[in-house]
Amino acid sequence: MTSVAVGLAGIASLFILMLLRTPVAFAMMIVGFFGMWVLEGLRSAGGVMVTESYSAVSSYSLIVAPMFVLLGNVSSAAGFSSGLYDAAYAWVGRLRGGLASASVLACAAFAAVCGSSVATAVTLGKVALPEMKRLGYAPGLSTGAIAAGGTLGFLIPPSTGFVLYAILTEQSIGRLFMAGVVPGLLLTALFMGVVWIVCKITPEAGPRGRVMSLKEKLSTVGRSAPLLGVMFLSIGGIYAGAFTPVEASGIGAALVIILAFATRSITFGAFWGAIQDTLKTSAMLYAIVIGANVLNPFLAVTRIPDFLGTALQDLGFGAYGSLAVIILAYIVLGMFMDGLAMLVVTVPIVYPMIVQFGFDPIWFGVIAVIVIEMGMITPPVGMNVFVVRGVAGDVPLTTIFRGVFPFLLAMIAALLLIIAFPQIALFLPNSMFG
Amino acid sequence: ETFKFANYMAPTHPYVASTFDPFAKAVEEGTKGEVKVTVYNGGEMGAGPAEQYARAVDGVAEFSISLPGYTASTFPLTLAAELPGVLDEKTGTETIWKNIELFQPEYRRVKLVALWSSAENIIYSATKPIRSIDDVKGMKIRVPSRNSGELVSAWGGTPVSMPVSDVYNALQTGVIDAAMIDGTATKAFRLGEVAKFVTLGMETTNSPFFIVMNRDAWDSLNDEQKAVVEEAGKQASMNGQASQLRVAADGIETFAQMEGREVIRLTPEEAAPFNQAAEEVTARIVDEIGGDAEAIVEALKAN
Amino acid sequence: MLEITRSGPARSIDRAAKVLSTLAGISLLFLMAVITISVLARYLFNSPVTGVDEIIQLTAVSVVMLALPHATLSGAHVRVDIFDQLLGRWGRLAGDVLARCLSGFVLAILASRAWGKMLDAYEYEDTTNMLGLPIWPFYGILAAGIGLCLVVYSVELFSILSRGERE
Ligand code: NA
Ligand code: NA
Repeated sequence: MTSVAVGLAGIASLFILMLLRTPVAFAMMIVGFFGMWVLEGLRSAGGVMVTESYSAVSSYSLIVAPMFVLLGNVSSAAGFSSGLYDAAYAWVGRLRGGLASASVLACAAFAAVCGSSVATAVTLGKVALPEMKRLGYAPGLSTGAIAAGGTLGFLIPPSTGFVLYAILTEQSIGRLFMAGVVPGLLLTALFMGVVWIVCKITPEAGPRGRVMSLKEKLSTVGRSAPLLGVMFLSIGGIYAGAFTPVEASGIGAALVIILAFATRSITFGAFWGAIQDTLKTSAMLYAIVIGANVLNPFLAVTRIPDFLGTALQDLGFGAYGSLAVIILAYIVLGMFMDGLAMLVVTVPIVYPMIVQFGFDPIWFGVIAVIVIEMGMITPPVGMNVFVVRGVAGDVPLTTIFRGVFPFLLAMIAALLLIIAFPQIALFLPNSMFG
Repeated sequence: ETFKFANYMAPTHPYVASTFDPFAKAVEEGTKGEVKVTVYNGGEMGAGPAEQYARAVDGVAEFSISLPGYTASTFPLTLAAELPGVLDEKTGTETIWKNIELFQPEYRRVKLVALWSSAENIIYSATKPIRSIDDVKGMKIRVPSRNSGELVSAWGGTPVSMPVSDVYNALQTGVIDAAMIDGTATKAFRLGEVAKFVTLGMETTNSPFFIVMNRDAWDSLNDEQKAVVEEAGKQASMNGQASQLRVAADGIETFAQMEGREVIRLTPEEAAPFNQAAEEVTARIVDEIGGDAEAIVEALKAN
Repeated sequence: MLEITRSGPARSIDRAAKVLSTLAGISLLFLMAVITISVLARYLFNSPVTGVDEIIQLTAVSVVMLALPHATLSGAHVRVDIFDQLLGRWGRLAGDVLARCLSGFVLAILASRAWGKMLDAYEYEDTTNMLGLPIWPFYGILAAGIGLCLVVYSVELFSILSRGERE
């Protein structure tokens, strides 16, 4: 069997294992391990398992996940999250799907300090999902909004995706960051539009709140203060350069715990419960990261991306025809691969073709990042969907994938707009850097 | 037989074309195709430099490229070569290979294939120029290794350790004031976009690179094949250093030509206080390592 | 996910997972404290604690690996539930058995490799770069956490095979 054939068999097995209810994390580990064994022998396969496990759990930047989950869990247990959402409900609850739109906006704000989609989805999901559930939002809409909103973490700068693309293609990180701003805002607006349309079609998905007097509205502000204050301090601290995201996550969690005990909003039992929940969610998240990291070297040695690249060159479509094929190939690969891994293996193959066709490399960086974001919410391997499923607790994966679908359409719309009007991406960097 | 070569750097990194691809080709041609080497770039075999040594030890890949500084406790002797004033920037790699036997005891878990010294580290500062040692006082400076941290402390600065991939954001947001790294960073990590000043001319550390090989994979080769790998590795060391020095010098040149950027070259008088501190640091660390460290440093200096 | 039989060995696994999970909780709070203190130290005393990232990274290893067995035991892992109805009772049973056999095999490999890494790190006295903290105990924790997950899956497998699906 050729390595490409083994790769395709591996992908098929991944489908079958997941369909047969193998936990996603273990399905990826199993396929990565056995695939590597077949192609490269037992030494490499076992080696990948142990080094990827250790490097994932000892990763510094991943620590934002358990810390922000802890922040969210303690806030919920102490009633701070409901305080914040009560206030949001009082002010925007009258609007169609107002809370889901507010959550998308919150995702965008968090994305402006956090380079990772998964961390954005975890952080907002932990705070927003239980509250939207409490206020009667359909689980499909609320989880879909958070899973899709989380992907903004990748498009709105800072973004690990742009940094990697810049290094792979020798483009300027600053230019790419600037190029991501307007498309990021555009996508945020489109997501809010999706929420509005979904609620227009099925009003019960995001029930309208009752009319409240200004006095009632003002009375909710105080209850939103603790969580708003903590978020302002920790996220504002990252903006101001006072600390790194990991530091912000740790300090945010510590502040919430201190506030909760100082205001007697939490019992020790409830606190310990929040910690145990945090541990379960974190272990689940890390297991998925390990799974993805074990799967990636296998996909690399199968040479499937090379194979696709050669095939594309042989086809001989024109510039836009090839671009369409590249985007489709990215969407297909994105169904299985982790976004950053996909960038690494595909950009060296695709980038020279893009330049040859006369496309702007900065513009293509934006396109690539949006397509990779789509991969994070498409089945069967959609990291953001898994993560939201993990923090939501009781929503079936099917419901989330279904809830995400209209947001995927919004991303396709954004893609088409940016292809038709490259200035959406290029205006800002070109006017700033000349 | 096909061996995997794990490279965490981007496929566009100058090392790939100048050093890794020629190494792969030399092994394949030297063994008449009996041993092929496939280079996996951009961390396809696993991301980041920190775990690359483990990837060779565990056999994730048969070869891997990394810096001994990431697993410093395993390589105290090799890292004596990074101390200021030990190696000459131009002839460092030749000197290392004349004395290669001295380092071998540290490479029991792998086969040492290539080892080369890098360009000297320089300092990229975000907004505050470093023109004298007094300017360093109180500055938070990212350092590439423990030894470099000792050096920054001796200059009166505050060393901060962070992965190189975070340096761009940290300089931009002001989490750190400056970063110690070699001149390749202008392009490789785009530091030219976030730093206004580069200071050089004082004695600093360098950051040696190595290519290591999985032991079992090495043992599976016959004597002729082993000789081919060793020869290709030695050549890779020379290529690696040549390419590194060229790109670093180019990086400094590029930085100087960027608008609103300044390269500060310290005069011997300005550099003297830096160098005196450096000398003390080298002496103290060599003393702390103990064992053969002093003999090795003497041998390296003698060349 | 699956309720384990109330037999003796199952109870002691439950207890072991809970003990590890308690230790993980303490590690989590310690992790948060270290991060907070390091920032405070930097701003109040203008002196970053060198090598604090090493403490943070090693603590993260124990948080995750000590929490993993309990998470696995309580079915916290994300599964694709799209086809549950379609599979039917026997399909689900077969899937659950297959998942545990294959996952168990891979986890066994991982546990044994981690154990080997622990011995290796101990023999060569591997330490962290800045603070010189020994690394072998953390490979030990990796091996232990994965090992206990393996035991959890074995017991669940036994329970499924002897009693059929219990959901
Ligand atoms: Na972002
Ligand atoms: Na996907």
